[in-house]
Amino acid sequence: MKILVAVKQVAALDEDFAIRDDGRDVDPDFLIRDLNEWDDFSLEEAVKIKEASGVPVEVIAVSVGPEEVDESLRKCLAKGADRALRVWDEAVRGSDPIAIARILAAVARREAPDLLFAGVQSSDQAFASTGIATAGLLGWPHAAVVANLRYTPGAKTAMFRRELEGGLLHEVEIQVPAVLTIQAGINTPRYASLRSIKQAAAKPIEVLGLTDLQLGSDAVGEAGSLSRVRRMYIPEKGRAQLIEGGPAEQALRLAAIIREFKGEAT
Amino acid sequence: MSRTDAVTRILFEAFGAAEVRLFYLLGYAAIAIFCYGVYVQIRKYRRGATLRLEGGLWARFGAMLSSVLSHRTVDRRDPAAGGAHRLIFYGFMLLFAGTATITLEYDILEPLFGIRFWYGRFYLVFSLVLDVAGVALIAGLVFMMYRRGWMRLPKLDYARPDRVPGDPDFNRPQYRREDWAFLWILLIIGVTGYVLEAARLVWLQGRADVWGTRWWSPVGALLAEGMRALGLGEHGGGLLRHGLWWFHGLIALILIALIPFTKVKHIFTSAASLMVRDPLASQRLPRVPDSQEQVGAAKITDFNWKQLLNLDACTKCGRCHEACPARAVGAPLSPRDVILSLREFAQATLESGVVPAAAELDIHGKAPGQVAMETLWSCRTCMACVEICPVAVEHVPIIVQMRRKLVEDGAMDPLLTKTLQTIHKTGNSFGESKRKRGAWSKALPFPVKDARKQPVDVLWFVGDYASFDPRNQKVSQVFASLLHEAGVDFGILYDGESNAGNDVRRVGEEGLYEVLATANVNALSSASFKSVVTTDPHSFNTIRNEYPDFGGKYEIEHYTTLAKRLFAEGRLRVTNPLKYRVTFHDPCHLGRFNKGYDAPRELLALLGCELVEMGRCKANSFCCGAGGGRIWVPDPVGSEKPAQNRMKEAAAIPGLEVYVVSCPKDLTMFEDALKTTGNEGKFVVKELIELIREAMPSRRTEEVPA
Repeated sequence: MKILVAVKQVAALDEDFAIRDDGRDVDPDFLIRDLNEWDDFSLEEAVKIKEASGVPVEVIAVSVGPEEVDESLRKCLAKGADRALRVWDEAVRGSDPIAIARILAAVARREAPDLLFAGVQSSDQAFASTGIATAGLLGWPHAAVVANLRYTPGAKTAMFRRELEGGLLHEVEIQVPAVLTIQAGINTPRYASLRSIKQAAAKPIEVLGLTDLQLGSDAVGEAGSLSRVRRMYIPEKGRAQLIEGGPAEQALRLAAIIREFKGEAT
Repeated sequence: MSRTDAVTRILFEAFGAAEVRLFYLLGYAAIAIFCYGVYVQIRKYRRGATLRLEGGLWARFGAMLSSVLSHRTVDRRDPAAGGAHRLIFYGFMLLFAGTATITLEYDILEPLFGIRFWYGRFYLVFSLVLDVAGVALIAGLVFMMYRRGWMRLPKLDYARPDRVPGDPDFNRPQYRREDWAFLWILLIIGVTGYVLEAARLVWLQGRADVWGTRWWSPVGALLAEGMRALGLGEHGGGLLRHGLWWFHGLIALILIALIPFTKVKHIFTSAASLMVRDPLASQRLPRVPDSQEQVGAAKITDFNWKQLLNLDACTKCGRCHEACPARAVGAPLSPRDVILSLREFAQATLESGVVPAAAELDIHGKAPGQVAMETLWSCRTCMACVEICPVAVEHVPIIVQMRRKLVEDGAMDPLLTKTLQTIHKTGNSFGESKRKRGAWSKALPFPVKDARKQPVDVLWFVGDYASFDPRNQKVSQVFASLLHEAGVDFGILYDGESNAGNDVRRVGEEGLYEVLATANVNALSSASFKSVVTTDPHSFNTIRNEYPDFGGKYEIEHYTTLAKRLFAEGRLRVTNPLKYRVTFHDPCHLGRFNKGYDAPRELLALLGCELVEMGRCKANSFCCGAGGGRIWVPDPVGSEKPAQNRMKEAAAIPGLEVYVVSCPKDLTMFEDALKTTGNEGKFVVKELIELIREAMPSRRTEEVPA
C-alpha cells in the first residue's frame, strides 16, 4: 500500500524585501524557505496511517523544484516518509499550478499510490488548485479541505469529514485511489529533530527529470501553462492616519476631517 | 598472667570449638552474601552504557578522600546533620578499623607468621580510642533519630510532587522503615557493644590483666561498676557476656550481609560517586557521538555506569529537593524523586540474572520507577540540585538526556516545538529576521564595528535577548555606550551571530545545538579579536564551556569582570555614587555554573550601593524560572512562578530600592514578576549595567541613546 504526499517548499518574506529586477517575483535573497504548513499536516496524516497499519505502508514525499527543495524533503524523510522524489528540469520554471499538476499526475501514474495527499493550499501562492488539478488529470475521485480522515490500508474506500460553512460537517466516503487535499489542524505534526533530519540525509532523494516522466518540455513551464504572472508589486499604502493628542484635540480634528469630506469649508 | 602480652582483647574465651566454628561459618556466610551483593550491584552498573572517565585515578581518589574525610559536602546547608554524620562516620570507621585489625592479627598475621601486636599498651590505647568512638557513634545516631522523628524537616518528607496521594509510590513508606531500621541496627550494635564489654569485665573481674586495665575502656568500666552495684556477679556476667556476644555478633554479621542490598551501601556508592564526579557536570552537557544512532535516554541501560552508580549513591538527604525551584513552586518535579525512581527502576530490572527485553526497560512514563514527561519538562536546568548534592549525583545531565529522547519523539509543549523550529529557521528565538540582529545598535550616536569585516580587541557576543527583546535592547545600547566611552575597541557579529544554543541544548535538542554551535564557532573563527565579552550568562556558559568541544576555544568573560577591570584601570569612573539599598540576584549561569559571584558584588560596592543579600544567594541562588528553555513555555496559570517566589523573598528586605540583575532573561522574568506580585512602585528591577550608567553620567551626554 502506498501513499504519495505532494509537498512544496514555500517562501516567506524576510524583513525589508525587494522585488526582483523583472518585477515578477520577490528577490530570492529576501526569502526564507520552509516546508509548506499544510504539507506538514498531510505528511503527518500519511505517516499516522502508516504507523497504525497492520500491513506495510509506504509513504513517498514528492516535490517539484530545484536542489534547494531537498532540504524540505529531508524534513519529510525525518518525519517518517520512506522515500522522497524530486522532479526538476529548468524548463519547469514559470509553471502555473496546472503545469505542476501535470508533473504530479505523471509521478502518480509511475508510483500508482492508493492515496495522493496534497495540502489545501500553499502559504506563498495560495492557488489551492494543484492537488485538485492533479486529480482531474488522473481522473481520480477527489475531495478538498479534508479535516478528518479514517482509512484502513487495503480498504477500497476511505471515510473523511469536511468542514462546511455554518458549522456543518460533510461526511464522505470515497473510493481509492483518490486525491485528498488536507486541511491544517487535522492532526498535530510531529517535530523533526535536527538529529533526525541529519540522519535522513543518509536516505537518498530520487531526482526525476521530464524524460523519466515521459513529459515534453512543452508540457511544463510557461509553455505548458495557461496563466502567467505579469507583475508582483507592493500596493500603495492606504490613507489611514492616527489622530494624536488628547480627546478634545482628537474630536476637533475628527470633526474637521468630516467637514472636509462633506466639502464644507474649514 | 603478669606478662604484658596477657593484656589483650578477650575474643573467643570460654567458647567451645564447635561454637567458634559456627561463628566462622556464619561470618563466611555473611561475607559471601556481601560479596554476592557487590557482584550483583557491579553487574547492574556494567549493564549501563560505557563511559571513559577523564583524569587520573589517583587525583580522583584524593579528591574523594578529601570530601569524605572533611565532610565538607555533608555539612553544607545542614551543619547539624553534617556534624552528626561526622560523629557516626568517624565512630563507625574507628570501630570498623578496630575490628578489622583484630581480624588481621587473629586470622591472618598470627596463624601465618606468628606476628602479634594486639596486646599491651597498643591494645589499651586502642580500646580507649574505640570506647570514645562508640560514644561518638551513639551520640550521632541519637541526634539523627531526633532529627528524623521530631524535627519534621520538609526535606525528609518523602511525599512526591510528581505523584498524588493514593499512588503506590506516593511517599514510599518503605524508605522510612529502612531509615529507621538502619539507625536502630547501628544503635543496637553500639549499645550492645558497651554492655557486652561491661559484662565481660564483670565476668573476668578476678583477672588482673582484665580488671586492672578496665579504665582504658571507660564507658564499659562505668557500666561494669553499675552492673556490680546491681548485684551482677562473675557467673551472671559470664552468661550475659555469652548471650550478648552472640547477639552483637549476629547483628553485625547481618548488617555486613545486608550492605549491598540496603541504604547501607551508600558507604561505598557515595564514596565511589564522589570519586567519579564530573567537575564540569554543571557547565557542559555530554555530546552525542555522531556514530550513535539513538539520541537521549529511552531505556535504563542508556545511562552509563556512572549514572547508574549515581542513582545508588543518593542518600535521600533531600538537599536537592529543598533547593529545586520547580519543586518550590509546586511543579511535579523533585530531583530527588527522579533519582530515586530511576534507582528503583534499575533495581527492578537490572539486578536479576538476565536483562529483560527492551520494552521493559523504558524509563519514560507514569508507572512506578518511570519518569513522566511533565516532570522532565519542569526542570529549569538551574543546577541547584547538582551543586548541593553531597555525594556528586548529577541529576541535570540525566534529566537532559531523558529530554533528548522526548525531543526525538516530539513529546513536548507545542510552543516549545514552535520555538525550536523558529530557531532553526531564523537562528533566533524571536522569529525575527537574521538581518535585524544588530538593529538595536542603529540608535547609537556612534557606529558599532562589524567584527566580521574589521579586527577588534573585544568581540561582543550579544545573544538573542539582548539583541531582540526591546527592554534588553536598551541595556545593550547602554553597555555599548559604556564600552565606547571607556575606549574599548569592540565590535559585534551582526547577522553572523546565531542563538548561542545554551538553552536549546538544555531543552534536549542536541542536533539543533550542534547546528547553532557550529555556526557560531565558524562565525567567531572568521573574525579577528582578542577576547569575547557577553552580557548574557547563558551565552557565556556555552561559549566558555561547551564550544571547545566544537573546536571553538576563546577567551571569554561576562561583562561584570570586564567592567570591573575598566574601573580598576580608571577607564570608567564613578562620578555619582548611588547610595541605593540593593540586593543582587546571582544568575544561575554566571554564579552557580561559573562561580562568578564576586565581580558583580564588587561593582555594586564600587558604585556606592549598599548590598543586602537575600537568604538564597550565590551558590544557593534561586532560579528565575527561565532556564532550560522554560522561558519559551509559560508556566501553568494559577501556580506560583519561580520568579514570583523570588520577588517575595526580595520584597521582605526592608527598604529595598533596587533588585539588581545581570542577565537579560532575569530582567525579563523579574520585571514581570515585580508587577504580578504587586511590588511595582516599592522597588525596581535593574540591570547592573544601568546602575553603572547612572553612577557615571556620560561625559558626553549627547551620546546616551534615548
